[in-house]
Amino acid sequence: MSGAADMADVVIVGSGAGGAPLAARLAEAGVSVVVLEAGRAFRPDDHVPDELAADIYWMEERLSGGADATAFGANNSGMGVGGSTLHWGAFCPRPDARDLRLRSESGQGEDWPIAHDELIGYVDAVERFIGVSGPARYPWDAGRRYELPPVARNAPADAMARGCAALGIVATDAPAALISRDRAQPHWGERKACVNCGTCHQGCRTAAKATTDTSWLPLAVAHGAEVRAECRVIDIERDGSGRVSGVVYVRRGERRRLACRTLFLCAGGVETPRLLLNLDLANSSGQVGRNFMAHVATQVWGRFDADMRMNRGYPSSLITENMMRAADADHAGGYLIQSLGVMPVTLATNLARGAGLWGRALVDLLDDYNRLGGIGINGDCLPSDDNRLTLADETDAYGLRKARIDFSYGPNERAIDVHARKTMTAIWEAAGARDIFAVDRSAHTIGTCRMGDDGDRAVVDADGRSFDIENLFICDNSVFPSALAANPALTIMALSLRTADRFLATRG
Amino acid sequence: MAQLYFLHALGASAREWDEVITGLGDLGDCVALDLPGFGDSADAVLDVAGLVDWFAQQVSARQPQSWAVIGHSMGGKIATLAAARARDGDPDFAGLAAVVLLAASPPAPEPMKEKRRAEMIGWFADGRIGTDEAAMFVDANTARRLPEPLRAQAIADVERSGRRAWTGWLERDSREDWQAAAGTLSVPALIVAGGEDGDLGEDAQRRLNLPHYRDARVEVVAGAAHLLPYERPSAVAALIRDHVTPAFARALPAPFVALLASDRVSRRTRAVLTERHAAPPPGKVLSPQQRAVLAALVETVLPGAADPVDLAARIDAMLTGGIGDGWRSAELPADAEGWTSGLDTLDRLARGFADAAPADRERCLRSIADGTGDTKGGDLDPRQMRLWFAEARAEIARQWMALPATMARIGYDGFAVGGDGPHKQGYRLTPADTIEDWQRLEARA
Repeated sequence: MSGAADMADVVIVGSGAGGAPLAARLAEAGVSVVVLEAGRAFRPDDHVPDELAADIYWMEERLSGGADATAFGANNSGMGVGGSTLHWGAFCPRPDARDLRLRSESGQGEDWPIAHDELIGYVDAVERFIGVSGPARYPWDAGRRYELPPVARNAPADAMARGCAALGIVATDAPAALISRDRAQPHWGERKACVNCGTCHQGCRTAAKATTDTSWLPLAVAHGAEVRAECRVIDIERDGSGRVSGVVYVRRGERRRLACRTLFLCAGGVETPRLLLNLDLANSSGQVGRNFMAHVATQVWGRFDADMRMNRGYPSSLITENMMRAADADHAGGYLIQSLGVMPVTLATNLARGAGLWGRALVDLLDDYNRLGGIGINGDCLPSDDNRLTLADETDAYGLRKARIDFSYGPNERAIDVHARKTMTAIWEAAGARDIFAVDRSAHTIGTCRMGDDGDRAVVDADGRSFDIENLFICDNSVFPSALAANPALTIMALSLRTADRFLATRG
Repeated sequence: MAQLYFLHALGASAREWDEVITGLGDLGDCVALDLPGFGDSADAVLDVAGLVDWFAQQVSARQPQSWAVIGHSMGGKIATLAAARARDGDPDFAGLAAVVLLAASPPAPEPMKEKRRAEMIGWFADGRIGTDEAAMFVDANTARRLPEPLRAQAIADVERSGRRAWTGWLERDSREDWQAAAGTLSVPALIVAGGEDGDLGEDAQRRLNLPHYRDARVEVVAGAAHLLPYERPSAVAALIRDHVTPAFARALPAPFVALLASDRVSRRTRAVLTERHAAPPPGKVLSPQQRAVLAALVETVLPGAADPVDLAARIDAMLTGGIGDGWRSAELPADAEGWTSGLDTLDRLARGFADAAPADRERCLRSIADGTGDTKGGDLDPRQMRLWFAEARAEIARQWMALPATMARIGYDGFAVGGDGPHKQGYRLTPADTIEDWQRLEARA
């Protein structure tokens, strides 16, 4: 152990959407900040447009159980300076006001302890900083404006637009956190406009896609923050009064100690609760690990007569929010539909696993890759006692027990899935697709350390502060009380700024 | 047409390959080169890196899309380091399909007695190598005296060696240590030793060249010493043909290699795809029987598409390397055990899955997928088998889809969206039924 004098006001564990905006805002306010990131640092040029070789995912093993066991690895978990923003799809819908009040609206799920207006103020600040492309007018939010014009639609987007138009479903260019024109990013340099390469999930090589390593972290560093890569936090130290006094991390085999006045855990919906459970911390509520949620992410596929080549272009270039509260819905909440551009290996895996295909049927579809097109949803997921993250008996290379996540759809997720299959099949039929079929899939890692007003039912308060340990905060998707239909990263970044402001306003 | 590049030994020239090339028939377009300072080429001072750069220029000027390199002695060191650069994504060397080393100088300093080195350097003390010295050199490197006119030709080539090239190799290049740069190579290699060779005989080949090649075999040619192409040309030609023919047969399509070599592809991407196209490292988790069951499973999951034996080897290598996809079913044992148990149970369930008829295999998998298969006595219960089969077919599909050969088969070009320059090309056109000129792979052939 070395570096006994190593000390920061604030240590942030994780450099993704939860940790990075916070790091920037605290550093701007003059707080000394050290960000510890388990993965390595990349330049955009380091990324490789290959699904197996891309090395930006959290590939350490997790155990997945339940009736609808969710996939981890490249499906939803990032590693590297930038966290999951390195691989995120940059699909950037805003959180819906109704989703934040789902319990009040439907009697199911949970309300968020934060007002939508307040959250949107932060969403707006995030969008302005990272640069979002979108339509001139957003059909479901008349006042909304995007800084940049939309990126090019690809073939599946055109097909979805065609199908939706035939059915009277409003659809438009998706809000995307990537830039359609070259844009100067403060303290980083010029980010190049999207070149439609289609490899967002393998890492953006032009910095067109917003990632924290090309946006928030340079801002944080410009204000004195330090980002340490390849630092795996394995322990949290506390003083006699139970307050956090520092963390222990391993860098290239060497154990180091870093003292801090305040600790922010921003390691995501799996690693944050796993660390707390391993260390038996901040869990007087018994809520750590509970209410794991994954979005219902059902896809519908079909063959087209046209040459689609769906790997070209921004993958999710069309959106409809019409199903956020469908008139004929028999479920609480709703879902977003997006067009899909899926790379061959991911597609093959999903067809084999999620569509249960093998044999001639599988080979024929994969051979037809250039003629396939798909659409998919991001559907709300209710918190449930049955879905939780626990610790397996097996340990990792650091001696910490691996995460086991049990996840099963409840009646509401099933109803969303059924409704979405019907809707998407109709859209695809109207778009001219043949041989239409659905793929089961869930996405994102949400919940497990939820925020709330009641310390018996939540791990942290609305400010992200632990009910048990006064100088421990959590800021990532694990604090979400409910999943929201919107993809999580934009909301996580907004929460991150808010958490920073609340910390600055309330610190002693 | 596939090309074969021939790199001769110290003191020789492109002519040393004449009879070997005659023996190769129409195997490919044979390009025998004079190394700088030898044969008809002007004398030159080149270190090893310079020699490999020179070879890169030779290859890239001809733009072969599938090619092999045959390196003899000094030429062998160049061949191995060219293969290393191909592995690392050097576009000049894209498309290398096979390596043949003949009595090759290794990436490590070449074993050579200092007295002999000094003597050979000394031959140039008076400005040029004398005929007696050249004859001594040729005769010392052959098991028995070469027939005429070959011997005279070999001697004449030694005599016309450039002083700087000759002494440069002996004083510097042969001593340069390139072991780290050579590393481990996956390109299929044939390593040939002369049964009566000295310092670069079989022992040295096994010790110094073989460890650099993952997929290699060693052949010893009897009745020959160091000048194998002169001494046993038809035997050498037969060995080359046997090694190169299957390698060319599994080469990626020429237009695909041309795209892979283009500036639309980054070095790292080229290296990744080159490596993946090669045979996987040896797997150690599965027994021969489990491998056979897995190959049969591959055949059933991807009929007529994947090479079952190759894909089974890839999955074994994946299990051996311990690098999975980041998760597994909580109800299954750890990956390696999950696979061995799953394959054993599958074999038991089908009463011999590997030898079962396709319809019986299909019926068996169907019963696993719907949970009706009777797995009694097997390691996994029906629910576990259902989960394992889902995992297995996903992994099979994943490994197959990631192969460059599969990309070529389905017409996928998404790896060619930006090279190492500051401007990434991406796609200009994204709507259906539009295509850019560079994407017309068939037109590039």
